[in-house]
Order: sequence, then structure tokens, then C-alpha cells
Amino acid sequence: MWTTRTLWLFFKRDLWEALSYKLNFLFSLFGILFSSATFYFISQLISGQSEVLSKYGGNYFSFVIIGLAFSGVLNIFQEGLPGIIRSAQLLGTLEALLITPTPMAVILLGSSLYPLVYSVLQSLVQIGLALVIFGLKLGTVNWLGAILLFGLTILTYMSIGILSASFILVFKLGNPFSWAFGSLSALFGGVFFPVAVLPGWLRWLSSLLPITYSLEGLRKSLLLSLPLEALWPEIKALLIFSFLLGPLSLFVFRVALKKAKKDGTLTHY
Amino acid sequence: MPNNVIWTKNLKKSYPLIKSYRDLIRHPFQRNFIQALRGIDIAVPPQTCFCLVGPNGAGKTTLIKILTTLVLPNEGEAFILGHDVVREEALVKRLVGLAIAEERSFYWRLTGRQNLEFFAALYGFPHQEAKKRIEEVLELVGLTRDADKRFNTYSSGMRQLLGLARALLPEVEVIFVDEPTRSLDPQMAEKIRKFLRHELVDRQGKTVFWASHNLAEVEAYGQEVAIISKGKIQLQGRVKDLTDNGQRSLFEIYQQYVQPNGEELSGLNGRN
Repeated sequence: MWTTRTLWLFFKRDLWEALSYKLNFLFSLFGILFSSATFYFISQLISGQSEVLSKYGGNYFSFVIIGLAFSGVLNIFQEGLPGIIRSAQLLGTLEALLITPTPMAVILLGSSLYPLVYSVLQSLVQIGLALVIFGLKLGTVNWLGAILLFGLTILTYMSIGILSASFILVFKLGNPFSWAFGSLSALFGGVFFPVAVLPGWLRWLSSLLPITYSLEGLRKSLLLSLPLEALWPEIKALLIFSFLLGPLSLFVFRVALKKAKKDGTLTHY
Repeated sequence: MPNNVIWTKNLKKSYPLIKSYRDLIRHPFQRNFIQALRGIDIAVPPQTCFCLVGPNGAGKTTLIKILTTLVLPNEGEAFILGHDVVREEALVKRLVGLAIAEERSFYWRLTGRQNLEFFAALYGFPHQEAKKRIEEVLELVGLTRDADKRFNTYSSGMRQLLGLARALLPEVEVIFVDEPTRSLDPQMAEKIRKFLRHELVDRQGKTVFWASHNLAEVEAYGQEVAIISKGKIQLQGRVKDLTDNGQRSLFEIYQQYVQPNGEELSGLNGRN
């Protein structure tokens, strides 16, 4: 019943809206270019000076560009799914969506498609610009490993996004999941620097964050050309995260939806 | 219940009151509620223009939201075409259309047609069928010429019409409208009233559940009316019978049942 056409129409709706803001695409391209340039010049200062970086080929720019490109995609789920609920509450479209027979899960999935595709494209553009303009050097990419890790990461982060969306449904603002996974991931997840530079107890904290495994695995497959067997610790960790968080997030979302309907606050903001 | 399109029995709804910071500290586990519906019993026969009138905060919107599955009742039962709105939510959603008075329920930067295309997909229409149905409903509400204009350029009346077009996308038997003529100019308001009664009820045989504040429009276009006050139905009957075929005004009757003390449940004002 909920065909790919339904999902396509969600994508199209967001594309129509995005296209109506004509300069947005252009300026986001500039944003990518400037952030890449900033980290390129920082890397000129520090590349080759850190032993920790040598594990990743010794080049800070390569290290950080992978972190930046992929954390942007993960952010779409972490911030994007609750953002979709929040903006539908604010715009007033949530009620109109919920009166249709489309299940809420399909609405969430459909609404996250365009942001996902857009952020993946942004990541590719970021890596592309880094390759063409800033001389990024990738290894012989282990595509299978990278795709597998990326898929598992998406599953994990979708669950985190659904948990955040559940919170927004009931409490409207002040989302702790977004804070916990967003801010902590940026600081302790290995986006800007290797987690190995952290003191021991903070490294323990980083081991609780899925992004740590995602970025570590993606760097192994994109920069170091390691085979699938070498990616197993990261794959295993992400499998555990997705098995635990997937069912939990769906259960929490169902409870949250029921509570919002009971309290009559579904469309409040 | 037999033969009634909408039927409720002892329907009750209370909302938790939002606590102040002081109450959160002093009584963290105590929850206070405000009663929105205090046992609603209504029965709406098929192919009827049913009007629900009552002061602000009387429970009109809450009742519509329960009947359209957007809010869960605390007690009682409600059925649409014999289906329980709580237990058979997914099915009920296929039987009802809701024209939301809220202009913000559309995507403002999309055209009227693009908005309808999107919602048609949510109702599960295949592409060709959706195109055909969109043309039909646009024609029906008289928006064909303006369908490709952006929603943010529409007048209030056109936005209401698009809301009706969206509610009519699925071929449903029951249409709920919540104050559809609010803040419209007299001609547009009249156009919408005629559309609801003559087109939807008389010509297409649908049941329209119409919440209104305007007793004159109810008298002119409603067939059946219920007066709701303080969360209870005070009176229900055929408009003609209640007004002795126009000998008495509906306003006169309304005043007998609704105290002229303004807002009924201050906590509910603006609850949407």
C-alpha cells in the first residue's frame, strides 16, 4: 500500500520547497568550500606532527574531511527526524498528515528522504572538492566495507532520530537525545581528532557513541584500504547498536504518539 | 446506532493542565485535569448536514478531533459507519475527511496542485488516479484556474476551498468541517455554505459534520443541529422541528441552553 510512490512524493515535496529557495543550493556549496579550506590550512600546520594521526596515514586533512562529511549525514537523523516533527508542529501540517491513513513511521521515513539524499550529496561534494581542489588522497577504497558500515550507521542513527522525535512529540522542545548524541558525538566521536588523544576515561565515553565506530570503520575502508575482516569490530558494534536501538525506538515512539493523543497535545508546539 | 453514520455514547475527555513551576516543585506528582467533554451522546443520520454549535471552549473541536482519530477519549465510545474510532483507527481514517480551518496545514511554498498531489499520495492514490481525482476536486471547489499558483498567494477563501478539496480527495462518506466560514468575506462564506449543503449533502449524498458559531448559517443550511455547552450536548434535533419551521429563531433556542458568559472553559481556548 505504502509504495515507493508515497516516499517519492515526500521527496518531491521537499525538493519543490527547496527549489523555491533559489540561492540556498549555491550558498551551501560555498559553505562546504569554506569549511574544507579552513581545515585544509589547519592541516598544513599539524599534519605529520602527530603520532596518533599516522595510524590514519598521517594526513590531518584526510582524517577530518571524512569526519566532517559523514557526521553531516548522521546529523540528518539525529537532528533531522525530531526537526521534521517540530517543524510540522510549528507549520501546522502535522494534523493534516496524521488524518491521512499513512502510518507515522512512513511519514517519518518519507520526510527524512530528501534531507538524507541532500546530505549524502553534500558529503560527496565535500569529498569531491577535497579531492579536486585540496589534493585529498584516498586509499584503494574498500567499497563493500564502506557501504556496509554506512548502511548500519544509518540504521543506528535512524533509531536515535526516532527516539528524539518521540521526545519532541511529547515534550516539544529540549531534546536530550539530540544533546547527548549531537554534542557528545562532535566532541568525543572522532569527528575532528582521533579518540586516541582523549584521556582514558573519556575514551570510555567515546566507546559508547555509535559515531566512533562509524567514523573509525569508514576511515579504515576509505583511507587505509583495509579488508572486510579488519572492519569487523566496527561492524559488530554497529550491529549491536542497531539491534538494541531499533526495536526500542519504535516502542518508545508508539508510546509517545499514544501519550500525545491522550493529552491532546499532538499538534501543540 | 443502526443507520447512524456518526454515533457516540457517553464520550468523555479531559486534558491535563499544564503546571506552573511552583506546582511542579510543590506537587510534582499531582495532575490536574480540565474536563472538555462530559459524556457526549450524539447520533448523526446519513446524508445529513449536521451542525454543532456552542460557545468557545464548549468542546466542539475536541469532539471533532476524537471522531477523526486525532485525540483519544478517556471514556465512552464513538463510531463512524459502525467502526470504533479508537480500536479501528486505521479504518476510520479511510472513512472520514477533515477540512482543517488552519491555513498553516498546507505547504505555503508549493502550489495548490502540488499540495494536493502530495496529500493524494498519502491517501494511497496511484499516479494517474491521483491526477484525475485532483482535477475532479479542483473543479468541484472551483479552484482549477488557480491550481498552479503558490498557496501563499491564495486568499483566505481560496485556502478554505483547498482545505475542502483535500478533505474530498479520498472518496469518503463523512466530511468534518470546523468553522469553515470563519474570517471569510460574505460572498465567499456563502459559496462555501452552498457547497457544503447543496453539493456535498444534497447532490453527492455525503454526511457533513459542521462545527459553527454562526447560527444564521446553521438555520439556513443545517438539517440537524446539536447545541453543545460545558462539554455536554444540551439539545439535538432537526432544525425545522426546533424552530417550528422558522417560527422561532435558533438564537432564541440557543440562549435557553447556553449562558451568555463568554468563554466556557478558559483552559481550552485555542486548544487545537
